[in-house]
Amino acid sequence: MTESSVIIAGFGGQGILLAGEVLANALMLDGKDVTWYPCYGAEMRGGTVNCEVVASDDEVSSVNKKEADFIIALNQLSFEKFLPKLKKGGWIIANSSLVKELRSRIDVNYFFAPITHLANELGEIRISNIISLGILSKIGKLTSIETLHKALDMVLPEHKKNLLPLNLEALETGFNLQPVPVTVG
Amino acid sequence: MTKKLTKGNYAIAQAAINAGCDGYFGYPVTPQNEIGEYMSKKMPKLKRAYISAESEIGAINMVLGACSTGKKAMTSSSSMAIALMQEALCYIAADELPAVLVSVMRAGPALGYIYPAQGDYNQAVTGGGNGDYRIIVLAPSTVQECIDLTYKSFYLAQKYRNPVTLLADGLLGQMMEPVEFKDYPYPEIPNDDWALTGAKNREPRAIYSLEAKEEVLEKRVNLLFEKYKVIEENEQDFEEYLTQDAELIVTCFGSLARNVKSAVNECRKQGLKVGMLRPITLYPFPVYKIQELAKKTKKILVIEMNMGQMVRDVQLAVNGKVPVKFFGKAVGKWIEVETICEKIKKEIGNG
Repeated sequence: MTESSVIIAGFGGQGILLAGEVLANALMLDGKDVTWYPCYGAEMRGGTVNCEVVASDDEVSSVNKKEADFIIALNQLSFEKFLPKLKKGGWIIANSSLVKELRSRIDVNYFFAPITHLANELGEIRISNIISLGILSKIGKLTSIETLHKALDMVLPEHKKNLLPLNLEALETGFNLQPVPVTVG
Repeated sequence: MTKKLTKGNYAIAQAAINAGCDGYFGYPVTPQNEIGEYMSKKMPKLKRAYISAESEIGAINMVLGACSTGKKAMTSSSSMAIALMQEALCYIAADELPAVLVSVMRAGPALGYIYPAQGDYNQAVTGGGNGDYRIIVLAPSTVQECIDLTYKSFYLAQKYRNPVTLLADGLLGQMMEPVEFKDYPYPEIPNDDWALTGAKNREPRAIYSLEAKEEVLEKRVNLLFEKYKVIEENEQDFEEYLTQDAELIVTCFGSLARNVKSAVNECRKQGLKVGMLRPITLYPFPVYKIQELAKKTKKILVIEMNMGQMVRDVQLAVNGKVPVKFFGKAVGKWIEVETICEKIKKEIGNG
C-alpha cells in the first residue's frame, strides 16, 4: 500500500483549507482513497491555519500522522512549526516571499519560491495557494495540474467559476518553476 | 453514483434530512457546529423546523416535545453540553419517544477543550439520568458510516420508540472523505396509535413519566425492559476483521478503528495472528460475538481514546474466559499505527 500525506499551512486568509480541499478532490478523481483533516477551533484571519491530506491506493490508515511526506508552508510561522514534522527525504515547499531561506535540516528537500510575489504578478494575491499546488504537482507527482483544475471546477461555487482560467494559469506557473540548486556547506 | 468529498458533520446533517427529520433544535458547541449551520440553511427551505435554542436544555426539551407529536426530531451537541441534556434524555427514554441525538465528542472532563477524544462512551452508554433506562448508541468510524448510521438512528428510534445516540468524535466531524448519499433505506413506522396529534374524533392521550401507583410503575419499567431485551436480541452490530484464526483480538470503537485496522494489516504482514472487532452498536453491546470470540482467541486488547471505558463492557462479556488488556490515552493525536503495532507485539509476546 502506498500512502502519501501532505500538510498545507499558512495564514488564515491564504486559502489553506481550500487548497487542501482542491488537492483532496483531485486525488479522489484519481481514484485514491483520501482524507482531509483541518486544524479547527479558535483560528482567525491572520493566525495560522493548516490541514492534512492523506491519499492511499488502499484504505487511508491514519488521518492525522506523526510525519508528512510533503509540506507546503506559506508563511514563516508554519515553516518553523512544520519543518520538524517532515519525513526524512520529504519535500517542503516554502513561500520565500514570507519565509527566510534557512535549511536547518539536512535530511529533507527544500523548494523555495517567491509564491506571494508570483501571485501578485498574476494580478491576484489570493492565488498563492493554487500556485503552491502547481509546485506540489511537479515535485510530488501525486496528481496532475489537469486533475487539480478539474477539482477546482468541483470546489468553486458557481459565482466564482469565472476565476477558473486564472487558477489554471496559477497551476501552470507553479508547475513550470525550476527548483534553485542548493549548495550545501 | 458518484462520490462526493464531504465533511463528517455535513454528512450527518444531510443524512438526517434524507431520513425525513422534521425538526432540528440545537445550541452551538465545537466541534459539531457545522451540523446546526447546515440545518439552519436547509431546513427552512424544506419548510421543516429549525430552531436555535436558548440553551442545550431548551434544545433537548424541544426535541422531546416535537417527538411526542410523532414528528422526527433531533439535536446535536458535544460532551459537557450533552451532560446538560441528561435529565431530558431520561424523560425521553421513560416516555418512549423516538428522539435522535448526535454526540460529537471533544476532550473532557468538564470544559476540557475542542480536541477530538472518545471520553464520552460512559456518558452515552450508561447515561446520566435516574432510574432504569437505556439509550441505543451507534458509533460510526468513517464519514460514510456517519451517513449510514444516521439513517439507522432514525429507523431504530422509530422502530423501538426509544432515544438513539449517534456517537461520533471531533475528528470524524471535522474531516472530509469521499462518500455516497444513498436514499433512506428503511421503512416508515406508523405512529398513529400513540402520537399526540390532537384528540379530535378519538380518545385523548397523554405522555408522561409520573406514576403514583407502585404496581403500575413497576409494570411500566418491566415493559421497558422487555423492549430492551428485544433490542439486545436483535440489534447487536459489529465489524469483524481477520478474527478467524486470531490469537489476539484488538477491540476498539469509532474512528480509531481506522488506525487499528492498519496496525492489524502491518502485523499480519509480519506473520502475527491478530484481528479486530469493532462494536458498531455500543448499546446493545455485541456480547454474543465477543463471547464467541473469547472461546477461540487467547487474549483481547482494548484500545480507546480515553482512559478505559468500553473495556469494562468487554470484560463483562468475556467474563474471565481470556485476559482483557487495555491501552488508551485521554486526548491528543489519535494513537499511531506504529504504537498500536508495538502494543500488539508486546501482548502477543506476553502470551
